[in-house]
Amino acid sequence: MKTPPYLQKGDIIGITCPAGYMAKEKAQSCITVLQQWGYEVLVGKTLGSKSKTYFSGTDEERLIEFQAMLDAPEVKAILCGRGGYGVGRIIDHLDFTAFKKNPKWIIGFSDITILHAHINRNFKIATLHSSMAAAFNDGGYKNKYVQSIKAALEGAKASYTCKPHSLNHTGKAKAELVGGNLALIAHLIGSKSDYQTKGKILFLEDVGEQHYNIDRMMHQLKRSGKLNDLAALIIGGFTDMQDTERSFGKNVYQLIHELLSDYKYPVCFGFPVSHGKENLALKVGGSYQLTVTSDAVALIEQ
Amino acid sequence: MNRKSFVSSLLIAGTGLPAFGRQPSDEEKDLEANSIIPHYLKEGDTIGITSPAGYITEREIQPAILQIQSWGLRVKIGSSIGKRDYTFGGTDEERRTDFQQLLDDPTVKAILCARGGYGFVRLIDQLDFSALKSHPKWIIGFSDITVLHAHLNRTIGIASIHSKMCNSFPDDWSKAEPIQIETILSIRDALKGKRMQYNAPLNEKNRFGVAEGMLVGGNLKTLESLAGSKSDLRTTNKILFVEDTGEYLYSIDRMFWNLKRSGKLDQLAGLIVGGFKIKASEDAAEEFGKNLYEIVMEKISGYKYPVCFDFPVGHQKNNFALKCGVSHRLQVTKNETTLTEIQ
Repeated sequence: MKTPPYLQKGDIIGITCPAGYMAKEKAQSCITVLQQWGYEVLVGKTLGSKSKTYFSGTDEERLIEFQAMLDAPEVKAILCGRGGYGVGRIIDHLDFTAFKKNPKWIIGFSDITILHAHINRNFKIATLHSSMAAAFNDGGYKNKYVQSIKAALEGAKASYTCKPHSLNHTGKAKAELVGGNLALIAHLIGSKSDYQTKGKILFLEDVGEQHYNIDRMMHQLKRSGKLNDLAALIIGGFTDMQDTERSFGKNVYQLIHELLSDYKYPVCFGFPVSHGKENLALKVGGSYQLTVTSDAVALIEQ
Repeated sequence: MNRKSFVSSLLIAGTGLPAFGRQPSDEEKDLEANSIIPHYLKEGDTIGITSPAGYITEREIQPAILQIQSWGLRVKIGSSIGKRDYTFGGTDEERRTDFQQLLDDPTVKAILCARGGYGFVRLIDQLDFSALKSHPKWIIGFSDITVLHAHLNRTIGIASIHSKMCNSFPDDWSKAEPIQIETILSIRDALKGKRMQYNAPLNEKNRFGVAEGMLVGGNLKTLESLAGSKSDLRTTNKILFVEDTGEYLYSIDRMFWNLKRSGKLDQLAGLIVGGFKIKASEDAAEEFGKNLYEIVMEKISGYKYPVCFDFPVGHQKNNFALKCGVSHRLQVTKNETTLTEIQ
């Protein structure tokens, strides 16, 4: 696994929107704070574009900008302004040749899971799963979750803890970390961007899904062998979940827990990786040690 | 950046991408080429009714029972009918036991799923299909039952019927609309061995051509959720039909990308797009910018096979019985679209 160089003062971070549209003012705090952190910011045209559709630009516009940032040697990290939907429409047209030679940090989550998985599967280069531009707004940049992005980019080794949960499986595992948004990970199964999870610590989060759909996606992971040989499983936030009119009868953590009865590896629920504020920066492809005991959970970067 | 070469690479990329996905073994090829056709039903045969996914009451299946009896068939009501575990027709174990009993019962010649919903995938790996293999019978349903159609096609090679279920039988047959009667009677015709033939309305987005191949398909979301599993449908040289309901355009787009990126669109014989009930975006400003036709056609622009839209299959009144795993001929011309069973 290759780790891109950590950032130095004066390095350039590019901001682009490879998926949904984002107004420029929504990213202004992020731009200002990144500058305060000592970086220069290259703002792509897809941020605050003239697009009238759901997307931040046409497929071609989003692709050209992301490609240019991948290829420009002076851009040391690419922060995706927001997720939404759209990376899957351009992923097979991106050329990673320059990126492979000169890796740089790709930052984001949600729809950006496609990039994390694709890069992990095909190039074995670490990426950064974290909040994006909007998390900096309304003073959010002061919280530990946004600050964890700064620490990660500076090369500090993460040392995270979270509250114990009654459904946790205790144990300890040291392995490569992979993961992201459950819906995207399920969607990528069978494609060339499909994560390989054997021997790894997998983390999952999702937002706005029906309980039955989470159940279906977890069954897909299980039936495609993704849960069989994990080193450990981290269940993050499943926010804004919806139940059907005829109730599913179990909450999301219960239904996930039920599917894991055959497995012995450590599992923790409620880890702060989510579509909510609680979203710690995690290096996909990084090496971590997860320790789950009855009264504590710790995830320590190696 | 050399924009020109970049754009041209974009334009040909649809044809140039290699298919991704495992190649079938000889055994799988054999299984796919030769589906077993269960015996067609004759007067006095019994159909078992079960609810492997969502719950349904015995009262709600009465119109279906009466209608099936009027076809000269008997009905055996499975033990899951009337059972309820939240949204499900009984616990996983209750639904599994009922389905297994109907699979194993030699007097039951066909199994009609009472309704869809969600839940079949929770049972599929616990079902024992050995009796079905030695004594094939028709299994009938759609939507969530797509799990079973795909599983049977991929792993066992037994034909099955994709059609309306008990919850779509009209309460009062005498007041039913013609399309309701026609679609329900298409189940009877399929079960009794009639050679199926359907027409679809003309659609200017259709791509003309003629294809012959095994018919497979079902609910698109369900098909996507089987990717990577042992029930994952293989589509090479087949005619694929898809339908869905209640999905946003972006989600439909993403599902077609899944089909494409998992190698399911590049070697089709033909593609049948059924009904798609599209969920409107809550925010009008978040216009997706592409309609269903554009979403489909951009994925398959590099291929030559025939494509038809608005085929009468889906979560809608015009949802006719289709025999999955059986060879069909799809003919799409400027004058008509027909799908004909090859016997």
